Amino acid sequence: MTLPFTLLVQLSWRNLWRHRRRNGMLLAAILVAVGTVVFANAVIRGYQGDMLNDAVNNLAGHVKVLAPGYRADPSIDKSFTIAPDWQPPLDPSLVLGWTSRVRVPAVIMSERETRGVQLVGVDPERETLISFLGEVDIIGGYLEGPADRRVLIGKALAEQLDTRLGRRIVMITQGSDGLNREAGFRIVGLYDGEGTGVEKVFVFTGRETLQALLDTTAITEISVRLIADEYGALAGRQLAASFSDLEVMGWRELQPQIAAMFAFADAAIFIWFTIMMIALGFGLINTLVTAVLERTRELGMLRALGMRPRAVVAQVVIESVLIIGVGLVLGLAVGVWLVSLLDEGIDLGRWAAGVEMFGMRTVLVPRLLVADLVLVAIMTMIFGLIASFYPALRAVRIKPLEAMRR
Amino acid sequence: MAELVANCRGLTRIYQDDAVPVQALVDVDFDLAAGEFVSLAGPSGSGKSTLLNLIGGLDRPTSGDVCIDGVALSTLNEAGLSDLRLNKIGFVFQAYNLIPVLSARENVEFIMQLQGVSARKRRERAVAMLDSLGIGDLAERRPGELSGGQQQRVAVARAIVTHPVLLLADEPSANLDSKTTAELLELLTRINREHGVTILTATHDPVVMGYALRHVQLRDGRIVSDEKADSVAA
Repeated sequence: MTLPFTLLVQLSWRNLWRHRRRNGMLLAAILVAVGTVVFANAVIRGYQGDMLNDAVNNLAGHVKVLAPGYRADPSIDKSFTIAPDWQPPLDPSLVLGWTSRVRVPAVIMSERETRGVQLVGVDPERETLISFLGEVDIIGGYLEGPADRRVLIGKALAEQLDTRLGRRIVMITQGSDGLNREAGFRIVGLYDGEGTGVEKVFVFTGRETLQALLDTTAITEISVRLIADEYGALAGRQLAASFSDLEVMGWRELQPQIAAMFAFADAAIFIWFTIMMIALGFGLINTLVTAVLERTRELGMLRALGMRPRAVVAQVVIESVLIIGVGLVLGLAVGVWLVSLLDEGIDLGRWAAGVEMFGMRTVLVPRLLVADLVLVAIMTMIFGLIASFYPALRAVRIKPLEAMRR
Repeated sequence: MAELVANCRGLTRIYQDDAVPVQALVDVDFDLAAGEFVSLAGPSGSGKSTLLNLIGGLDRPTSGDVCIDGVALSTLNEAGLSDLRLNKIGFVFQAYNLIPVLSARENVEFIMQLQGVSARKRRERAVAMLDSLGIGDLAERRPGELSGGQQQRVAVARAIVTHPVLLLADEPSANLDSKTTAELLELLTRINREHGVTILTATHDPVVMGYALRHVQLRDGRIVSDEKADSVAA
């Protein structure tokens, strides 16, 4: 015999209205739990987004091609060449941009200070599409092409070197023949990055200029930025197939510390959600057990009249599904609303030094992912169903006659 | 001889109460033929409610067996007993036992809904039944808005609307005044005569016994007398 769902839903719905205060409190608890989880998820996703963006922007791209051994010894010896008309063997609709670079360790000298840096030869136009150079504020001018002989340095580095825009600096690095090369460059611009870390490390000039200085036509890396992180593995495989003698790496391999923090943030979402749901589950069990105990006689009577045990179980479960469903919808709405209130982001400027250490930006913008909302909805319903089975089974274990005597 | 609706053989029911076994029913044989109106009488603790519950499949005997409409209850599991109660037995309880969140009409429709009767037929039959019991104008009221007598009428309507083979009534007049009791008993008599519904009622009330066609007397868990009524009140 099939379950009389219409009847069970009708009974369950009306039963919910019998104890408005108690069920209202349970509803509020579900609403707060779901709303909080949605909001917390969005904040963590915002943090993850910042980390991913910084990792990818930090000259890594989603996928990078390097000569073997370059990571251990980043010199011009570990380089490779590509044809002038080379294009990545990837679906163009998945590629946001790509570029080739020459990147070598160098010493930068001003009249007063000397520092160790990474000298990066870039194609300025391509670079703006795929790295932080497209996002940062620049005081002064930007490089005008791969043959530009000027340099763009970080604001913090300029302060360390006690130099300024328009002044000349000297760069010393090792050429392809192993001999030191030295050249003077004029500072075309000072870039103001999100954190001072990159500002102190990267010095940019035209790629062809640097190749000429090093006496090579080779490059040290190709960096590809995709439209989304999830295409990274596919792009990696396709690039690896066409560069069998080179190393093809995703940003997670290039920046394992950030990848670990990224994974930790995923775990934090899961842990936070589980804690909230367990607390909510106990509340749900408590409320439903109370509701079942109060209605023991009535449930016994339903059994006496011929309602099958599984229909009684279904009734209690439907009751909890209804209240969880309503609480879930309201909770999701509240969570989305809270996130929408912060679409300008949360200003963490007061703790700038601290947040930078954790790979965060000074303005944290919460990010809502539809997948997260779906996950919260599904997991809440699953937790709710599991929590409702104990009171439901308790309801059905009571014999009708015994129940009616109470 | 009329067909047997209920057939009990060697029914014994022992309750284990605080480690002291209590014999509520001892080796009872009892038959109920189709169309009978039988009262089970006896003092408190005589076993009449126990017998009613065993026949209704609400309890299981310690030994012996009950057959309802040819089906041995000992062969049924809990779901099977539920189906038997749903399809063959109507119950009228002392405390009415209506579902508080449903209206009078919805309470009457309840059993039909469990049976899978279509919404239109359910509604027609429930309204007709309430009309025939004189409470059609109260159809949309909830139990809390009805008097005891009105609630008991709704309970009777719920019990008989699906034409069960057997109507079991446990102290149906216990919470009713004498006028309402008389109205209820006339109603049960009408149902018994006009619809041929077999009725078994457990009662202390001599007024109720006066309407029954057969009186069964229990004492200390045993049937001490079983006789046809000389005359009936209705």
